[in-house]
Amino acid sequence: MSRTKSPYPYWFILPAAVIFTVLFLVPTLASFWFSLTRWDLFSVEFIGIENYRQFFREPFLIQGLFNTVIYAVTTSAAKTVLGLLLAVLLTSGLWGQGFLRTVMFFPVLVSTIGVGITFTVLMHPTRGIINVALAAIGIHGPGWLTDPTLALYSVVLVDVWKGIGLATVIYIAGLASISPEYYEAARIDGATRTQLFFRVTVPLVKPATVTVVTLSLIGGLRSFDLIWAMTRGGPGFSSDVLASVIYKQYQAGFYGLSTAGNVILFALIAVIILPLTLWFNRKEVEL
Amino acid sequence: MARVVLENICKSFGSVDIMKGISLTVEDGEFCVFVGPSGCGKSTLLRMISGLETVSSGRILIDGEDVTYAEPSRRGIAMVFQSYALYPHLTVRENIGFGLSLARRPKAEIEERVGKIAETLQLSHLLDRKPKALSGGQRQRVAIGRAIIRDPKVFLFDEPLSNLDAALRSQMRVELTDLHAKLKATMIYVTHDQVEAMTMADKIVVLNGGRIEQVGAPMTLYNEPASPFVAGFIGSPKMNLYDGDAAAREGCMVYGIRPEHISLSATDGKWRGTVRHIERLGADLIAHLTVDGLGDLVARCPGDTPMVIGETLFASPVAGKEHKFERGAIG
Amino acid sequence: MNSRRQLFTGLAALAATIVIFVLPFLFIFLTAAKTKQDASLLTFTLPQQWQLWQNFMDVVSARDYMLLLAYFNSTVITVAAVALLVLFGAMVGYVLQRRPSRWNTLIFACVMIGLMVPPAVVPTIWVLQWLDLFKTRTGMVLIQIAYGLAFAVLLFRSFIATIPRDLDEAAIIDGAKPWQIFFRVILPLLKPVTVTVIVVQSIAIFNDFTNPLYYLPGRENVTVQLTLYNFQSQFGTEFNLLFMNILLVTIPPLIVFIFFNRQIVAGMTAGAVKG
Repeated sequence: MSRTKSPYPYWFILPAAVIFTVLFLVPTLASFWFSLTRWDLFSVEFIGIENYRQFFREPFLIQGLFNTVIYAVTTSAAKTVLGLLLAVLLTSGLWGQGFLRTVMFFPVLVSTIGVGITFTVLMHPTRGIINVALAAIGIHGPGWLTDPTLALYSVVLVDVWKGIGLATVIYIAGLASISPEYYEAARIDGATRTQLFFRVTVPLVKPATVTVVTLSLIGGLRSFDLIWAMTRGGPGFSSDVLASVIYKQYQAGFYGLSTAGNVILFALIAVIILPLTLWFNRKEVEL
Repeated sequence: MARVVLENICKSFGSVDIMKGISLTVEDGEFCVFVGPSGCGKSTLLRMISGLETVSSGRILIDGEDVTYAEPSRRGIAMVFQSYALYPHLTVRENIGFGLSLARRPKAEIEERVGKIAETLQLSHLLDRKPKALSGGQRQRVAIGRAIIRDPKVFLFDEPLSNLDAALRSQMRVELTDLHAKLKATMIYVTHDQVEAMTMADKIVVLNGGRIEQVGAPMTLYNEPASPFVAGFIGSPKMNLYDGDAAAREGCMVYGIRPEHISLSATDGKWRGTVRHIERLGADLIAHLTVDGLGDLVARCPGDTPMVIGETLFASPVAGKEHKFERGAIG
Repeated sequence: MNSRRQLFTGLAALAATIVIFVLPFLFIFLTAAKTKQDASLLTFTLPQQWQLWQNFMDVVSARDYMLLLAYFNSTVITVAAVALLVLFGAMVGYVLQRRPSRWNTLIFACVMIGLMVPPAVVPTIWVLQWLDLFKTRTGMVLIQIAYGLAFAVLLFRSFIATIPRDLDEAAIIDGAKPWQIFFRVILPLLKPVTVTVIVVQSIAIFNDFTNPLYYLPGRENVTVQLTLYNFQSQFGTEFNLLFMNILLVTIPPLIVFIFFNRQIVAGMTAGAVKG
């Protein structure tokens, strides 16, 4: 006398669970331990929080931490604001809007390394097209990637260039889900175009905003390829972020320090994303 | 002999009892209808017979065999779902033959049996279509075909007509009754529609709140309802039911009289009332009266009865058609 | 009046878009067709002499046909990883959606972790070495599966929620075993979302640079993105070849994009509407 078995057996989860546990969860948990060790090719030695202490003592490591936050916040802010404006523009019945959407979205799919190399060339201080074009209208262009105060922001620009298409299509999907009746009702109530945007569009497109902000913040905090392809963290350490610090320490053989960087990045994401998610959800209830 | 016997079936989710001790026998070849309001447990009961839902306690026997814990496919049953549940990616032919193909029967055999069934159900010209390209009635027939091919001892129908429009529904009622006559198989049919129950059933099981209210032939339930609940559920328009003082005057807990068992007169009668609303249905006329001492009373009379709103009329129950219940409440 | 204004705004937007989004690609293409000296000027001009084909041959044959090997490796890794991702992701999404249980909270937590938490690279290498999978394509495939699962599970789960459970039950009554329900009824119905997962993940894995950099070092295992990165340092002066390489790396996503534009956008915007 056997009970009827579930038609949805748990072994279906097994392959995924094994792969995810072994190659993701185990290393993540192990990283907490390894971040407390002096770990190189030959040995592992427990040294307590020494790696973390070093992280917050070395100016270039601290700068990496700050740069990570600056990078994530600026790219995310730019993508959110520009993405929404472009989405509104590209859903307004503009001539050729389908083509524009397509063209803007394509960079999302292109190899980050390829984009990075291309823009490194375009941003060449003397011969790069950008500065040549600026010179033609009488502006002396800056050393986009050679000026330590500017390098990080130049990469931010390229990141926004590459990612804005995604933010825009997310917003377009969000706008498409707003019933036109809201706009009609608001217009009957006498709302102006600006009022329509701030009083109807912005609040109702919130789910898309949540997606764009969360995705681009997480992406920005973890960002590595583009920075590595364009500046390798330079000049000096001026455009280093946590992900590039992790790689540099790994290359140098400081595995413990590299892993500590990983844990800090992990903590940074948690500290930024978790309160944000809670805040987004709380606002939802109030609506 | 595919008798279906339920012995003291109980079902609970956590501390909530869904089924409270159902015992029932469905005879071989019988068309048995489970009817009741939504949430009464009729679908759950059917799904327990099919094996899609487990039983908390009790026994289910099909054809004398205890199948309480058997796999659905080993119970000798077939089921037609409310949504038809046709596989959208398969053609009609593949839908009907799906079970046989799972059982790895030879292609030729599948082909032959599908062909034969398609012919009986007039689906032969649709065999290569996908369900999307079929009408509601055709989908219904495919679902039935998929049930027939299993050659089951018992057919289970879970509100199979509720997605069809009224005209098609009455046509399918006839088709299903014909099918039952032809196959002579045991059929258990769930519906919330008492018209379906009355028109198709050999035996009706009225369920309410996880219990059986009454089991019987359609006319038995109509003539001799065992409880105010059954009295109110079977028949349309609903039986007039009264409790409290009105019932006490008739010497019972609940007093009931069907609209069609009331005679109206302009001069005298048991009750005096005012016409509040008139529904003219053509052949019939449904009169809503406000009666002193009773409240609302619905009466059914011939369609050409002259009547105006606000008129005072006298109503009387037809002798021998009154229902007096000693227990129960108006549901 | 209104339509004329729209036309002008449209034309202005079109011009700006072309300058900002099309010119860089045009630059890639033109530079890839130039001679070495011509390309090194970094100017935005037509090539003095078109030599697209020769540059193509030069890039392909460079360093002992490394680019071909790279394409082979990247393709093998992408195809294997995506195939298994679809299978395993759909299986998890299916059970997760169909069978409510205490485990679901745990699985959801794992999905969220998988989407948010950056992989701990050095400990991952440590695990891979322990499994003898470090510097192997197999290891790389498994890593890509582990990192892509969360996304795939989420997409599959929400799609499976739209498939009526009646179908599973009809199959059960037809005598299907659990794996038959999944493979013969559910999986074929997942086609739209499967295409989305395949396309989005293929592009992500093909374009992935960071993970091969860490987990797949060594000449014999190079991937397309790694070759491009290495060319940058090794052929720093041969811009024509470098840009030919970029052009070649850009073409596969372009082809996929032309055919699957809708599915890509659908996959990437999933969640934007319901939040």
